[in-house]
Amino acid sequence: MKNSNVKNAFEQLNGVGLNPLGTAITSLKEIFTWEEAQQNELKGYLISQNFKHHYENNVFYQKVCKESNVSPEDIKTFDDLHKIPVIPVNMFKQTDSHMLLSKPLNEIEFEMRSTGTSGIPSLSRRDSDTVDQCLFGIYAMYRNIFKFSKGAGLFLFPSPEEVPEMGMVKALNMFSGLFDATKCLVKRASFKPEEAIEVLENWEGRHTRHIIGPPFLVYKLVKYLKKNNIRLNLDKNSKVINLGGWKRFTGMEISRSEFNQECSEYLNIPESAVRDMYGLVETNGLSIECEFQNKHVSPWTHFSIRDHKDINKEVRPGRRGVLFIYDPTSLSYPAFIQTEDLVYLKENHQCECGRNSQQVVYLSRIKGAEIGCCAINLEKHMDEVEQKKKSEKVEL
Amino acid sequence: MYNSVIVDHFTNPSNTGEITDKDIQIKIGNSVCGDTIFIDIKLDRDHIINAKFKAYGCATSIATADIFSEYIIGKSFKEIQDISVTERKEMLGELDPSQMHCLHILEELFTKLDEHQGDTAC
Repeated sequence: MKNSNVKNAFEQLNGVGLNPLGTAITSLKEIFTWEEAQQNELKGYLISQNFKHHYENNVFYQKVCKESNVSPEDIKTFDDLHKIPVIPVNMFKQTDSHMLLSKPLNEIEFEMRSTGTSGIPSLSRRDSDTVDQCLFGIYAMYRNIFKFSKGAGLFLFPSPEEVPEMGMVKALNMFSGLFDATKCLVKRASFKPEEAIEVLENWEGRHTRHIIGPPFLVYKLVKYLKKNNIRLNLDKNSKVINLGGWKRFTGMEISRSEFNQECSEYLNIPESAVRDMYGLVETNGLSIECEFQNKHVSPWTHFSIRDHKDINKEVRPGRRGVLFIYDPTSLSYPAFIQTEDLVYLKENHQCECGRNSQQVVYLSRIKGAEIGCCAINLEKHMDEVEQKKKSEKVEL
Repeated sequence: MYNSVIVDHFTNPSNTGEITDKDIQIKIGNSVCGDTIFIDIKLDRDHIINAKFKAYGCATSIATADIFSEYIIGKSFKEIQDISVTERKEMLGELDPSQMHCLHILEELFTKLDEHQGDTAC
């Protein structure tokens, strides 16, 4: 599609009552082949429309915009997106976070949370349309990158029944709809690697086996295999998929290269089968690694990297900075988020895998930010439960 | 999903904030999901004359904190203890199964307040 036709085509869809964003989501494969300029035109259209919605339906956000002298008249194309006022991510933790809503509470269908080391949860509230767009968007990315429609998933995270609102669990559990068999092995804050080995061995020869969970739990399994000199043989197309951060609650960071190498050695899979994902509970998407371990951003979402000394200045790909996310899939609150993450974008928009997109590399939390995410909170809680059990045994 | 009682108290809470010269502070929290409520209470002998809360968590738990604060203001400990279990359950209106944990939060708030009976104003 020609560059100038993108906006017209999407406007026509809108004109006949169809959802342009839904079309983009279901056309992900094609859009990943578009050139950067075309993708930017798409983002410019979708995000400016979404900005208009929040400006018109959110008293608090409109006030923020007026204070910044920005109105929908100022946001027309991709080149204007950087002017859109953003919400600092810690606002989702505040007691008055209801002000962020662009829809009335009685239209909210689902509350999702992430809790860091402070214990204060970040709450994001989604209405029915936002839940649709969030789920379709994540599934589109899962299908595009992994092509799962069968197989078995060893889930190294608690079942959603135990933690129904935890963002990481909700996103990872979506894989269950793509597999024939799944097993959640974190029960009541406890994980036994021996059970994981047993499940994987039982599935051998029946399913292509995948391991899915936060890095610290996959790491725990691999360390157990290493300690006991056990080498598993997973399958030709097996994947190890991570979400949830590489920093542990103790402050120690799991080395990605060591992790890749040990997964390869003890699970007998290529290092390229180890895939990490990046996402925020406050936004509706995941950036997912392809076989070249480049994290692809959904092409309807825009990542803008800002100079950490002056967040009004964008920095070019290759330069590190604070991540600002413009996500047009949210209708219930403005998902124009100033994160607390330090990242950079790969300089080449075109990946060896054939996809064209922004590719994000996560570096660290910004100085002074709470070190926290679902995974860290889960690990901390599991550690506390384990310590408690140990001390109870000693007392006996 | 949300009944009108929860919508009203979440969207227009009347008792958010802190009391600097509080006589009692109640804290309840859940380390996994993170629902946390702090309620500051000001006493005049055995009467509660003011209550302010800070709540972090789902909309229903924030509304619960507001409903509880509103209920206890102006009452004595004895009057608060006299409320029946059925009346307490009705305070939050009809809840979805996913919101039922807020009944436990409400119960815990009443229990914690009970523990302070006999405390006097500073």
